Amino acid sequence: MSDDNGILLLLLMGPAGAVGLYWGLYRYYRNTDKSHAFERETAVEAKPVTGSDQKAGEIKGTRASRIPGDNVGDYRKRVKRVQDDSS
Amino acid sequence: MSNASRPPPIPPYTGPGYTGPGSPQDVPPLPGSFPIDPNTLPKPIRDELLAPDPLAIDTAAAELKDGLNRCPKCGATDIRHKPGSDLLICQYCRNEWHGVRVEEAYGLGTGIDQLKGRVIASGARNIQADAAVLMSFKCTGCGAEVTINTQSAMTARCHWCRHVFSVNEQVPNGAVPDALLPFHIKKDDAVARIRQFVSKRKMFALKAFKAEFTPENVIGVYLPYMIIDGNVSAAVAGQGEIETRRYTEGSGNNKKTYYDADVYELERQVDFTVDDLTLESSTERGNLDTRANTNNIINTILPFDTKNALKWNASYLTGFTSEKRDRDAEHLTPRLEEQLLSIARAQVQASVNQYNRGVRWEQERLDVHGTRWVSMYLPVWLYSYHQPNKKGGLLHYIAVNGRTGETMGSVPVQQWKLILAALTVGSILEAIALWIVANSA
Repeated sequence: MSDDNGILLLLLMGPAGAVGLYWGLYRYYRNTDKSHAFERETAVEAKPVTGSDQKAGEIKGTRASRIPGDNVGDYRKRVKRVQDDSS
Repeated sequence: MSNASRPPPIPPYTGPGYTGPGSPQDVPPLPGSFPIDPNTLPKPIRDELLAPDPLAIDTAAAELKDGLNRCPKCGATDIRHKPGSDLLICQYCRNEWHGVRVEEAYGLGTGIDQLKGRVIASGARNIQADAAVLMSFKCTGCGAEVTINTQSAMTARCHWCRHVFSVNEQVPNGAVPDALLPFHIKKDDAVARIRQFVSKRKMFALKAFKAEFTPENVIGVYLPYMIIDGNVSAAVAGQGEIETRRYTEGSGNNKKTYYDADVYELERQVDFTVDDLTLESSTERGNLDTRANTNNIINTILPFDTKNALKWNASYLTGFTSEKRDRDAEHLTPRLEEQLLSIARAQVQASVNQYNRGVRWEQERLDVHGTRWVSMYLPVWLYSYHQPNKKGGLLHYIAVNGRTGETMGSVPVQQWKLILAALTVGSILEAIALWIVANSA
C-alpha cells in the first residue's frame, strides 16, 4: 500500500516539476507576486508589545504539524475586524 | 484614551479591486528569492536567473544629505530644474540652489506620536501662483489624464498609450500637491537599468516584445501619492500552539507521526507610529489587480526618500509629464487601515515566536488616533509595452524609481516556449522517475 504511494509520488515528480518550473519562471518574468513590502520598508516606531497568554487546553495525538489556519506570517490576510472595544 | 479622539466607524471598503482576487495580497518574497533552487535548473535558465539585478540605493537605511537648502543671492523667477539633482538653476545669474525641504519647513518628521485626528496638508487648496499654468488634458488616444506645464510645453506624449496629443480637449484641473521629489536618476541611467532588467528575462520573453524593445522610449512621469504619518494602536487575538511531544507509531513504511500540543489563547496590543507610508492617490494606479493591469510593478518600486521632498514648484516638472490626483484622504482611509493592520501583525510576530506550531489570529482591532496626510508627486521612469489579446490587451510596465533606481517590470511571456521548456524538464524528471521505478521493481 505504502509502496504504491511511494511509486505514485515518484511518478508525480515529472508533472510537479513541469508545473513548478512554469509557475516559477512565469512569476520571474511577469512579477505578479511583487508589491511594495510596506511591512518592512516603512519607518515604524513601536512601543513594546503587550499582551496575555492563557493556556486553554491540550491536544493529544494530532497528525497535523501546524495549527489549522496558521496565519502568523500572512500579515495581509485580514481576519475578523473588531470595530470598538468596551475596555 | 478618550473615546472623543477616536475617528468615526470605518465604512466598508468599496474602492477598486485592490483587495479582490488576483491582487498582490501576499507578502512579497524577499528580493532575489526564487521558488526553485536555480542550481537544479539547466544552465541557460540558471544563467539568466543569476545575472545581477540593477543596483538600487537603499533609502531605508539613512537619510540622504542633499546640500544647500536656500539661495540667499537671487530673486529671479526664470528657473529650471538641474537634471539629476534637487537643484534649481536661475536662468539669469546661473545661480543654483536647493528647493525648500518640506520636512523641515512644515515639521513633517516630528510629533507623529502626538498626532490627533486627521491633519491634512494644504496641498489641495493652497495653490501657489505658478500652479495656474498647469493644465490637465484628456488624451484623445486612451482617455488618460496628463498634466502639462503650459509655460514650457503645449504638447506631450501620453505615457499610457504613447499617443502624441496637443491642447485640444481639456478637463478641469485637479489638485496641486504639497511637495515633490525631483528626478535624480537620469534618463540614460534609467535606460541602462531597464536594459539590464530585461536582459535577465529574454529567453522566454514574447518575440514581439523583444523585437520592439526600445528602452529609449522610457518616459519620466510624476505620479501622485499620499504620504501618511500615523499614530495608532492595534490589538490582535487568536490561538497559538506549542508542541509538547512528537512520536511515531507503526513501523517500516507505515510510520505515522503524531503530535501533542498545548493550546493558548493569545492577545497582543501594540502602539506604534508610522512615518511616510506611501499610497497611490489616483484611482487608476491604486488598482493593483494583477489580472487586469501591471500597476503592482509601479507599486513595487516604492518607497521613495520622501524625507527629502521639496516644496511644490512647477519648474521641476519641465520636460516631464505627470498624473493628477483624484483620490482624497477619505477614499484612501480603508486602504491605509489595511496596511496599518498588516504592519501591526508584522510587529507582533516576534512576540509569538515561542508558539512553534504557529498562531491563528482570529480578531484584530485598530484605533487610529491621528494621521497626517501630505500629497506628493514622486518621480518614476516608465517603459510600457502593450500586449494585444482577446480582452483588449495588457499594458506591461517596466518602472524605475526616479530617486533610488529600484527597477521592477513585467515582461510578457511567450507561452508556447515556456510550456515547452516546462514539459521538457518535466519529461526528463519523469524519465528518471520511471527508471528508478523500473529498477527497484
